[in-house]
Amino acid sequence: MAPRDTSTLAEPMARGRAPRVNPELLPAAVVLACAVLLIVASTLLNAGSSFVPQLDAVLVTSIFLVVASFGQGLTILLGGIDLSIGVVVGLAAIMVSTLTNGSNAAILWVVPATLGFAAFIGLVNGLGVALARVPPFIMTLASGISFYGVGLAFTTGLAQRPVAPGLVALMNARVAGVPIPVVILLGFVIVATIFQNGTSDGRKLYALGSSPGAARVLGLPIAALTILVYTLSGLCAGISGILLAGYSSAATIDIGDPLLLPTIAAVVIGGARVVGGRGIYLGTFAGALFLSALETIITVLNLSQGVRNIIEGAIIVFALLLQSERWRVARG
Amino acid sequence: MSSTPPVLEVRGISKHYGATVALRDVSFVLNAGEVCGLLGENGAGKSTLVKTLSGVEVPDSGALFLAGSEYRPRDRNDARRQGVATAFQELSLVSTLSVAVNLFLPDPAVNRAGLVAMRRLEQQAARILAAHGVSEIDSAALVGELTLGQRQRLEIVRAMFRRPRLLLLDEPTAALSDRDWLFDLVGNRLAEGAAILYISHKLDEIRRLCRRSVILRNGQKVLDRPVAEMSDDEIFRSMAGRSVVERFVAAPSAVRTDAQPALSASRLSGDGVEDISFTLMAGEILGVAGLEGQGQARLFRSLVGLYPLRSGRIEVAGCGRMVRSPRAARAAGVVLVPEERKTEGIFKDLTTIANVSLPAIDHASKLHFLNRRRERALVGEVIGDVDLPEHFLPLSIAALSGGNQQKAVLGRALMARARCLLLFDPTRGVDVGAKQSIYRMMRAFVGGGGAILFYSTELDELVHLCDRCLVLYGNRIVGELQGPALSQEQVLSLAAGHGLERAAVSGR
Amino acid sequence: MSAALRRLGRLRPTGGAVVAVVIFLALYAIYAASEASAASVFGLTNLFNNTVVLAIASAGLTLVVLAGEFDLSPIGVIAIANVVMATTSVGTLGWFGALILVLLIGAAVGLLNGWLVASLRLQSLAVTIGTMIACEGVALLLLPAPGGAVNQAIVDALTGDVLEVVPVALAVIALVLLVWLVLARTRFGIAIYAVGTDAMAARLSGLSAERTKLLAFVLAGVAYAFAGFMLSCQTGSGDPRASDTLLLYMYASVAIGGTSLMGGRGGVFGTLFGAGILSVMQKMLFALGAASFYTSIFSGLIMLVAIFIGNASELLARVRRQRVA
Repeated sequence: MAPRDTSTLAEPMARGRAPRVNPELLPAAVVLACAVLLIVASTLLNAGSSFVPQLDAVLVTSIFLVVASFGQGLTILLGGIDLSIGVVVGLAAIMVSTLTNGSNAAILWVVPATLGFAAFIGLVNGLGVALARVPPFIMTLASGISFYGVGLAFTTGLAQRPVAPGLVALMNARVAGVPIPVVILLGFVIVATIFQNGTSDGRKLYALGSSPGAARVLGLPIAALTILVYTLSGLCAGISGILLAGYSSAATIDIGDPLLLPTIAAVVIGGARVVGGRGIYLGTFAGALFLSALETIITVLNLSQGVRNIIEGAIIVFALLLQSERWRVARG
Repeated sequence: MSSTPPVLEVRGISKHYGATVALRDVSFVLNAGEVCGLLGENGAGKSTLVKTLSGVEVPDSGALFLAGSEYRPRDRNDARRQGVATAFQELSLVSTLSVAVNLFLPDPAVNRAGLVAMRRLEQQAARILAAHGVSEIDSAALVGELTLGQRQRLEIVRAMFRRPRLLLLDEPTAALSDRDWLFDLVGNRLAEGAAILYISHKLDEIRRLCRRSVILRNGQKVLDRPVAEMSDDEIFRSMAGRSVVERFVAAPSAVRTDAQPALSASRLSGDGVEDISFTLMAGEILGVAGLEGQGQARLFRSLVGLYPLRSGRIEVAGCGRMVRSPRAARAAGVVLVPEERKTEGIFKDLTTIANVSLPAIDHASKLHFLNRRRERALVGEVIGDVDLPEHFLPLSIAALSGGNQQKAVLGRALMARARCLLLFDPTRGVDVGAKQSIYRMMRAFVGGGGAILFYSTELDELVHLCDRCLVLYGNRIVGELQGPALSQEQVLSLAAGHGLERAAVSGR
Repeated sequence: MSAALRRLGRLRPTGGAVVAVVIFLALYAIYAASEASAASVFGLTNLFNNTVVLAIASAGLTLVVLAGEFDLSPIGVIAIANVVMATTSVGTLGWFGALILVLLIGAAVGLLNGWLVASLRLQSLAVTIGTMIACEGVALLLLPAPGGAVNQAIVDALTGDVLEVVPVALAVIALVLLVWLVLARTRFGIAIYAVGTDAMAARLSGLSAERTKLLAFVLAGVAYAFAGFMLSCQTGSGDPRASDTLLLYMYASVAIGGTSLMGGRGGVFGTLFGAGILSVMQKMLFALGAASFYTSIFSGLIMLVAIFIGNASELLARVRRQRVA
């Protein structure tokens, strides 16, 4: 008879039951609750408005960040980062507006072409990181700066052109009383969540981000996964740029710049770890929603831009502080 | 009994990490001019004790006394100021700084302007190194340029040159080829009246240096006796908590000589691998023995394409092509269970079930969508073979003990449908029960027609489990033992290089 | 190895730093060949005026990066410094009082960053986004729209040249380099490398990662503030948004200069040349008549080239060392 493994008695949670829910859902839920609270507060503060329209407004303005941060979240999951997101968003926006030039007929080929180009930039990043082994921070920074130059070359001397009215209409239309962007947003969140947590590819990404060494020994397709992630990140930034062009009905090449740092903030506020291996998209979504709701309530309060920034910065720091406390408790 | 208080008194020290108990109510004393051995298996609490005494960790309860007065170091510097110096097992040197700077960290001497006078520092360092019999290390070189052995010497000199009254040496010979150098230095310190705590798992060193030894097991002191009064068997039993002999279940050999070899290597050569050839039959456990750093790690890694070879052929049964990547190796049915469990074995942020199911995750999903019920069913087929209790599956693997982590890693290898397992020291840092499970799993695996290449630092494992055993020395195979010749004495003698002359004679 | 080489080794120029010097000289040679005024005092003054803000700010950032952390707050500090100069340097404080005030503000922001990162262990990449946004907010509060004026005396003094020989901006950069060379030889300078290379080994060696990182952030804050001061002297007025585009180029300077973004390897020496490369390239392309967008394209490419050559030379050096050993 073999002696029983006595060490199991000392192991945590040997008390019996395993946690039913993913422990990462907790931070995501807390941040989501905070975002909802902010929206409620902004409704109360804004006399004459009610919750649902306010919620719609926040969701619509958050969609660009929500979509772009999915890609950022994936790169951070692998312990990398994508600093080209702002540039890709801007390039996609400018490409859509320039090529459609106010005509709906062009949408059919312009949108796929734009997405293809955005994914191509991501592919370049992925190839650089995975095959040439350039650190992600440097690779995406360099490609961002370079492609920004390409964008400048593309737009130099061109007058600003209007975005196809179809895209503009899409961003302002409603189905059954729900704004179409909200429908798109919810669909995106569902698809993205399923990809990250419900597919074998998502599982491999978590594995790779968690232990690159073990992934190598096991023979996971590291290069392919890395390239996939950066390409997806480029693609998401492209979608975000097209939506942004439709929303603002005109585009400049700098239009995506203010999105870059918030994508990182959204991912981290959502509970991800910057060195990789941990974080769920629902958390990132909550983080992005939180940042947008924050922006909204600050607008409702009619504060000056300076005060807004101070509050926003302080809240980001505060959110991170809360999270680190929670981690410390979780680690016991 | 003298009236002077002991240099160190440890009184009832306990330390927990989360739910893991690292030290439980440990007490002992250490007198001036005495070397005391500290023995224990991996995970017995030796390193935690060293870190507690060095001021790196604070104990949860208990007290320490240094020469009679209470000793409660705030940090490393505080401990050092009070005369406690440590040579750490993991080597606390900074690779991007020079030898001289490392020697004087954290407060290298500065001139009146507050600047570190590099040249003076280097001269001083060279003098100190020379005084400790280390003249081959250039004090201006970066530590990153040194060999592992040189770094270990530097670590030891750094702990010694400040003349501490309490010196802690944690596995000081792990990378050291010239042990007499260390033994001389230890003798000098003793003559000066220092007290030394000598941590090692090498029994011969303990016997040579220490009059007394403390043995830890699962964080508790189990023995504190003069070394001469104890037999090897008694020491091993105290460390492991079991008799050495009863652990291995004798089983008939399962070697199938009729089939083609599961794995054959011919004339493998590369950096650190010299002209290695062997064949591994189906149903065979082929052992690999060797002292630390004789090329075994590179050999195992090269077999799955993780380490480039210059020349040679590796043939895997049923696979025509040469294996050049772990991916190709897995496809051919060859799976490595690596040495570094924490960084290369487990995926620390995943649950246990996800760790096990990873190689078959594509089978457990349809059109890339995970089917968790199917995943569970697939994993259920293998966890029985490695005795991994089912209730651990949903837990994060980081929360499991080393033994259960290793079972999960082995379960994963089975999941990958391996036909040939390369096990690199699979029982290191693993508790007794898990060792038994691993032995059983190995037996069952070869019984089912699989083949195992098995490296272990524990000779008795090799002797009792293997059908044959290759012995490595200086990156080459210096002997192959089988049957009655496969004994601990024979393996040790070959591994120490004693068989070299004979092999050279018969080889030419 | 010869003693001279070893002496050089103490200055810790990584392979990357040497590459940066070579690229800088090559680009400058092309620039000088196609633009007659390039080598004149006027041309040099112009060149270094374009470099100095980026160079100083990146030098500060290098300290944080060497210690193994990220800092995204510099543009916030520069913005505050700029608007404070534009609102106070003409009045009662005078330019010197304003400079001291600005440096103190930089140190305070650095202290805050350092406390959050080193003491509270927050992820620097995320938390400094927060302090950056808050700092920009402070700048906007102080000066909601571009305007104000910087003391004319320093505007003239710090953008010109000394005795028509040396551009003041070059002298300032040299001063920064000197400060670095001194700093690198203090215990703190050594600790920065130790902590950035291997935090655990540093801790076991008795170094405090917390104190080292804290000080790195504070000194970096002071450097950003000084960069903001120099920026103010060049623009002559305040603009809370003037520094927005600088951040990515700061990281580009650090990376081109051969400092590892993982910490522990590199130095300010390379960073200064990295910043120099970015501005001399702009001059060179302009002199060659290339459209301005090429500057961006080439900035990115040069980063990659510098990284590649830097890595290759490190690799070569390692191979050579192994041969020797």
